Amino acid sequence: MIEVVTGNEQILKAYGLEGSGCSLPAGQVGGDFFEFIACDQRTVFAVIGDVMGKGFRAARLMATIRHMLRECIRINPHPLEVVRRLNKVGGHELRKCGAFATLCLLCYDGITRRLSCVNAGHHPPLLLSDGKVKVARCRGVALGLLEDYLGSGVEEFFLAPGDAVVLYTDGLVEACGPSAQRYGLERLKEIVRLQDGTDADKMKQNILSDLETFTHGFPQKDDVTLVVMKVTGKGGKRDGD
Amino acid sequence: MEIRVRQKEGMAILEVEGELDFSNVEQLQQEIQRRPEEVVEIDLQGLRFIDSSGAGMLLSQARDLYRQGRTLRIVRIPDHIREDLEVIGFFRVLEILKTNPNA
Repeated sequence: MIEVVTGNEQILKAYGLEGSGCSLPAGQVGGDFFEFIACDQRTVFAVIGDVMGKGFRAARLMATIRHMLRECIRINPHPLEVVRRLNKVGGHELRKCGAFATLCLLCYDGITRRLSCVNAGHHPPLLLSDGKVKVARCRGVALGLLEDYLGSGVEEFFLAPGDAVVLYTDGLVEACGPSAQRYGLERLKEIVRLQDGTDADKMKQNILSDLETFTHGFPQKDDVTLVVMKVTGKGGKRDGD
Repeated sequence: MEIRVRQKEGMAILEVEGELDFSNVEQLQQEIQRRPEEVVEIDLQGLRFIDSSGAGMLLSQARDLYRQGRTLRIVRIPDHIREDLEVIGFFRVLEILKTNPNA
């Protein structure tokens, strides 16, 4: 497994996948986060989330949630169980601070190329396959808002080589240019559609550069976090790349 | 953000205009907490932006009022804000809190 972490960026090459993500904070430190978490020789998790609020408090809560997430995966890696348990333990921490966190958890099996998604109040991922973009349907209530996690369950996809998955936070689709118009989901879907055949890191760069074109460097209210995963076609190797 | 308060038949109507975010969320929270009326209605027609701190505060105030046997009603939500709130499960939570404020 190759994992490169540079500042706010992370690149993963393993499990027949390429993953590339980055987080761009707006002003003071916010609560956005993303991570690739190796589970075993065939399974990797990708997670994106956003803890309510700004500054030190949000950053501290975010660190707690990330730590708890790893623990939950270690105890029982079934994606729905991970989110249920995280809502129990992490939700308690969040409620103590009057906060909540959104989270989308993906689990990819490099042997079967099965992608499982569970959503807790986050924007669902986009899937690019054969030049078509689909919005996943998984929904759920954000962590910490209710005692027990409530959501639509696990949504599964079987990916083919060349398919890509895009995770993002609200800061991306809500980003505004000088005209106060939002970047929006439709523009994001369109730029993702045009990335057929592009590798994960380049896809991420192209999306961010389209966002930059749209915003004209206008200062944003919220962090922007973006993660792209792409099936390289080398899945099936138990030890990854 | 600007808050205009009106009273109508035992109900307080708080009209919120502008942007509700972590920098001013306490202002609206204090206004809601100050109201003695049984029903507090938050009119969001003039709201241009809400962040997660704003959404979280509204849900925690709704929970507090329901626990007291009172009601927090959120009305005239602009479409783009409704969509943002929908993503986090805001309306599902409101619905559940109505019947079980300790959920």
